[in-house]
Amino acid sequence: MVLTHSTNHTYSHPFPTVTLAYFLRYSSPQLNPFAAHVLSTDTISSHVDPETQRLYTTRIHLKKSRMPSAVYKLLPASVSGGNSSEKASYILETSVVDIKEGWMKTESRNLNFTGVLSVVEKQHFKVPSSAEAVARNETDVNSSVMFRSRLGDKIRGKIGQAQESSGWLPGFLGGLGAKGIQRSIESLASTKTIDQLSKSRDGMRLVLERLRNGGVIGVLEKLRQERQRQAAAL
Amino acid sequence: MSASLAPECNEVKERYDTCFLKWYSEKYLRGAEKDNKECADLFNEYQKCLGVALKTRGIDKLLDEAREDNKENDVRLTAPKK
Repeated sequence: MVLTHSTNHTYSHPFPTVTLAYFLRYSSPQLNPFAAHVLSTDTISSHVDPETQRLYTTRIHLKKSRMPSAVYKLLPASVSGGNSSEKASYILETSVVDIKEGWMKTESRNLNFTGVLSVVEKQHFKVPSSAEAVARNETDVNSSVMFRSRLGDKIRGKIGQAQESSGWLPGFLGGLGAKGIQRSIESLASTKTIDQLSKSRDGMRLVLERLRNGGVIGVLEKLRQERQRQAAAL
Repeated sequence: MSASLAPECNEVKERYDTCFLKWYSEKYLRGAEKDNKECADLFNEYQKCLGVALKTRGIDKLLDEAREDNKENDVRLTAPKK
């Protein structure tokens, strides 16, 4: 089963600034306090297609787990990863910017825990179609999130991530019903994620305000000062 | 700037990020320059450092699996409807 949630939103900032805020949104908890759960961010590829001049970027973020605690309660520790220090998810983020056509498409998905739950978030930012909205410097975004639990399903010939823990799984899923458990996980996750989507928009808005006030050089300078303070404190 | 998942790569990652953001905001977004050649050396240095960390943490395998899943999904979604 798959659960999908989709929303539309308008930022009152021009499209190029919104794309910049997207790249900056996890730069620092000072810049975006709503990103305090992001432990690290790395770029693994970045290139401009010479024909289309589209910018392709791939990043990996490590986030403190966003799986709702209720999901953990449903699962034995052998599946959920056990103690809290291990409850971090690697997120693969891919994005394409076309500055000439005025759109940016992004996709984020979790890399671990995929046997329990896959969450795929897609965002499509674009210059609005109406001339009035363009004149108001607005940017439209459509976001969709897809939840899919494959707990107990065969994935590439293996049974989810629960394979190592032989013994309990057939009985566990047999008793409660694999489809039932999958649906519970999907719905718990979607309730929590919809909460978090508004926080992630708040974070984007904060970064956008800071860009409006200080420009990118101002923001970079603030980040540099913050690093120096951190280095001095060590 | 946020940290790299490999602390030993933090320094070069920050230099690359700063280079990228400057190039992106001052050149790419203004349509001035198509390629970010000015950041290429820093990027290569950064990837050399990061590549080791991705291997030791098994993230390279997770990436391969994600690509496999994508292929499976493509097959599933483009398959003729029964």
